[in-house]
Amino acid sequence: MNSATILKFFISFYIVLFFAYLFGPLIVMSITAFNSAGFPRLSPWDCFSTEWFGVLVNDARMMAGFKNSLIIGISVVLVSVPIGLAGALLLAQLSNRVRQVYYTLTISTILVPGVVLGISTLIFWDRMGMMFDVDYESFFYDGIFLTIIGQSTFISAYTMLVFMSRLQRFDPVLEEAALDLGATNVQTFRKILLPFLKPAIGSAAVLAFLASFENYNTTVFTIVSESTLTTVLASKVRYGINPSISALAVIIITLTLCGAFVHEILKRREQAKELALKKEEKTVSVKSASRGLLSNPVPVMVLLIFVAGLTTAWMARGYDVQQCKIEVSETKRKHQAELSKIRMVEMEKKLETQKTDTAFPSTVTTKKAAPGTNQYGNIFAPTNLEGQVESEETNPVNKKNSENQYQNIFAPTNLEGQVESIEIDTETLKTPENQYQNIFVPTNLEGQIKSENE
Amino acid sequence: MSADVTLENISIRFGDFTAVKNADITIKGGEFFSFLGPSGCGKTTLLRAISGFQELSEGKVYIGGKDMAGIGPNKRPTALIFQNLALFPLMTVWENITFSLEVKGVAKAKRLKRADELLELVALPGQADKMVNELSGGQRQRVAVARALAAEPEVLLLDEPLSALDLKLRQHLRTELREIQKRAGITFIYITHDQGEALTMSDRIAVMREGTIEQVGNGNMIYDHPETAFVASFVGENNAFHGTVSKISAGKTIVNTDAGELEATLMEGSQLNTGDRAIVFARPEAMSFFNRKNSVKNVFKAKVVYQEFEGHFWHLILSGPNDKKLKMSVINSGSSHDYDEGTELQVHVNSKLAVALPYGPLAAE
Amino acid sequence: MILWFKKFFLRNGIVLSLYMLLMTFTWIVVMFVLPQVFMFDFSFRFNWTQIDPSKIGGPEDVYTLQHYKFLLFGSPNNPDPFNVVDVTVFGRTILAAVFVTLFDVILCYPVAYYLAQVAKGGITRLMMLSLIIPFWINELLRAFAFRILFGEEGTINNVLLYLGILDQPIDYVRENIALYAGLGYAYILLMIFPIYNAVESLDRNQIEAARDLGSPWWRIHWRVVIPFAKPGITSGCTMVFMLSAGALALPQIIGGPSSLWFTQIIYQWFNTGSNWPRGSAYAMSLLVICVIFVLLIMKVFKVKFGEIGR
Repeated sequence: MNSATILKFFISFYIVLFFAYLFGPLIVMSITAFNSAGFPRLSPWDCFSTEWFGVLVNDARMMAGFKNSLIIGISVVLVSVPIGLAGALLLAQLSNRVRQVYYTLTISTILVPGVVLGISTLIFWDRMGMMFDVDYESFFYDGIFLTIIGQSTFISAYTMLVFMSRLQRFDPVLEEAALDLGATNVQTFRKILLPFLKPAIGSAAVLAFLASFENYNTTVFTIVSESTLTTVLASKVRYGINPSISALAVIIITLTLCGAFVHEILKRREQAKELALKKEEKTVSVKSASRGLLSNPVPVMVLLIFVAGLTTAWMARGYDVQQCKIEVSETKRKHQAELSKIRMVEMEKKLETQKTDTAFPSTVTTKKAAPGTNQYGNIFAPTNLEGQVESEETNPVNKKNSENQYQNIFAPTNLEGQVESIEIDTETLKTPENQYQNIFVPTNLEGQIKSENE
Repeated sequence: MSADVTLENISIRFGDFTAVKNADITIKGGEFFSFLGPSGCGKTTLLRAISGFQELSEGKVYIGGKDMAGIGPNKRPTALIFQNLALFPLMTVWENITFSLEVKGVAKAKRLKRADELLELVALPGQADKMVNELSGGQRQRVAVARALAAEPEVLLLDEPLSALDLKLRQHLRTELREIQKRAGITFIYITHDQGEALTMSDRIAVMREGTIEQVGNGNMIYDHPETAFVASFVGENNAFHGTVSKISAGKTIVNTDAGELEATLMEGSQLNTGDRAIVFARPEAMSFFNRKNSVKNVFKAKVVYQEFEGHFWHLILSGPNDKKLKMSVINSGSSHDYDEGTELQVHVNSKLAVALPYGPLAAE
Repeated sequence: MILWFKKFFLRNGIVLSLYMLLMTFTWIVVMFVLPQVFMFDFSFRFNWTQIDPSKIGGPEDVYTLQHYKFLLFGSPNNPDPFNVVDVTVFGRTILAAVFVTLFDVILCYPVAYYLAQVAKGGITRLMMLSLIIPFWINELLRAFAFRILFGEEGTINNVLLYLGILDQPIDYVRENIALYAGLGYAYILLMIFPIYNAVESLDRNQIEAARDLGSPWWRIHWRVVIPFAKPGITSGCTMVFMLSAGALALPQIIGGPSSLWFTQIIYQWFNTGSNWPRGSAYAMSLLVICVIFVLLIMKVFKVKFGEIGR
């Protein structure tokens, strides 16, 4: 084994690791969608369940956000594709120096941070609204309108790039030929250029829609009082995550894979057609195209996943989620009862051996060293309270620290963990901590935060 | 319907570069007119100016007596066949052909009929529904012609349409194009760098060099009576003998060259004077072996370097005075041995066929 | 200039010319430049909308440097010499963005190189596809995925605990590792493709030649490939930097208490702080620093603007 082979091995290993990094989070997340536990996780695995998909669909805010995302997405396509096309056409006709400036300007829309685009759009239309003295119902202040404008600002640059690359392959002589034969400019555009650009229009539209659908940075400012899917998701951080998010991820991933699959098929058929023409074969049978299809790993993978999904669903028929959950919660309660018994015993022992009663405070040892400063340190970022929440979440099965149980009472923010479990427990499963849920709801801390900032 | 095309003192400049200089000619309606010249001589630019794609720096273009200034290419009564044909790749053959009718709003049924008619005219029956990229080079050529004809132009412009084809096809299409032109009666303006094409197809030819028209005339005139050194060397094969004029008399002149004193004919209106630098041009067929019957004038020694057999002719490559390379053509008389390599001969130049012209740049080898 | 417009209209016809010019003008000017100008202007105004709307447009509605001063020095009762929290957050955001950019370059360069020069046909397509697919999935969902992975009860901790490598779960969130991993992950595509494009156009023969001449692999990269791919690398770095510095979703979702992002502060001014002018000032500062930074990069690596693009 010489150095070259070792090198190759390492590189391949690296590549594999890289793709694990790339796909790992998604795969993990997808799997958590099927765990009935209240918080998305792989272990401990409570029960296999598809209930979270149901929760997802029933989540009114999520659905409203989804609908808005769709509306905005389609509108952005309708706005940014014509703009991008105009931009690309104009660019082709500019002289070198002007072209540089123009190109820089258009690309800047992508480079400028999304938050800046969102803020500037918001402010611009707000001020314009004031100048024209329109009332608050008008579109100047409408979240949907502003979001469409804000997103289109940079998405038009994306579509422009798509059109630019397609235009490069266009033979300008074709336009001259059309003109020479008597066509007007508009006719030339319609009959010669547009048909050529058709595939680019398709790609640009898809690109624009996807970019709009998943945008957050700009949207969060321009959306004002409305919401999109992304802003709803982000707000979930504050109100609590549950595996319905993972369920959403599964749906989107599946859709994406299907989309990629379809795209691959279409592309292969195109290529096969072109190849056949070149070799001057008259017909290309669909069979040969699909045979080639099987040799491509992607569709095979997708097919396998699909089959796996089906078998799992079939096997799950004889499997009762509720029963499983009841069993699990029973086990948990039993375990906890045992642990508390043990702890009681230990507690008594300690009390006997210790004169002072610093037991309680001293047991509040969080991994975040000084609880005091921590809580106030978080005020500047209310959403960061989530960070604590998740780590402090009770997990009776994994209890390493015997003080965990009491910790929960004294660290108010941690009750958030219980809040979310309230949302999820559809049955009458109540763990002891739930009783304290309402006392310190994190959103109330925002009131504090605001005054700190002034 | 055909129209005259008049180019009135046209100049076209791109920044510092002058592509066309003072082009001034009238092309008659119904004529097959060619612009002949090497690449970069400005013939394409001129063609585009006539079509309306190129702006003029100076001068005017008149088509059918009408000034074309300000009239765009889609409004001029011209049709242009581009060098790369520019057939619309996403349309079928018949859609391509009847495009000019489509943009006028002609009904589909009528267009299909017209397409079939034109396909018959260009000898491509039944190809109407094919896609353009399914056709061969020659077929595409003809579709391009049909498409241009469908627009019923008064002037048809062709930009080196045959240059991408192989020899046999080229020769075949040359004849076809000529026939189509005669049948349609339209003015054809044809540009090419291949003088064989120009000579066989055209009624008249304009030879261009570096933006200027050097001579206009029919094939005969251009070949036998070139007016400049360039035309003489560009059209057909010509041996050039550089020298100085030593004597001038009516229609004749004697030029002192490396090959001795050569007598040659003078063109009408020649500006040569004694002492001027001149070139004597003798075509391969104007040279022959010296035998006693010829006058002793116009004879010089040469050695055969090699011989090419071309059926009707033997072409001999000679090494003349000062190792000058010369080409001589001799009719195949049946005896080949007189011309073996290394043979030293005496070559005679026919003074009636040789032409003396003022010194000027020659066509590149 | 007028001549240009005349020629343009002549060449394209009225309808198309108007279409091209109007659409582009609307886009660049109305949707992009004007809003930036307005934001710039707004950042110098008092927050009358909140404090006293009647004063808008009145004599007291003058310009002020108040907000920029606040960014730097904090409120008037600030005991520290400067606005410690905001300024350090700002600085840290920038530094973190730089770190993420470097991380991404190192992470992605081998993959891009592999894709461009080593992988053959079918595998290339597969890899390309597998690179693109994760990015069609919502940025936020990906952030959540990272939360699930990196949480204290998250998968990574579970695996490591299970394998016995750890005794106690590591709080990745706090250590900001989650955030950096998430940020690095988010912009992989934008780093890989420019580098891929640049490396792909490198004539394979050059590498062969270098190898022939006895150069070790690392030197080949250092002297042959990387200089050639410089525009691609720079363009990737520019985009990753801008996007990291301006990231909002990721810090909000997987940021820890010690990794506050500047964009989060901006968001607060608009949201709970209700001080839009101040938020604009902060946003403006972010924009300016980003632009300066990018221009610096371009100057240092001698790359022109026109080379940035997919």
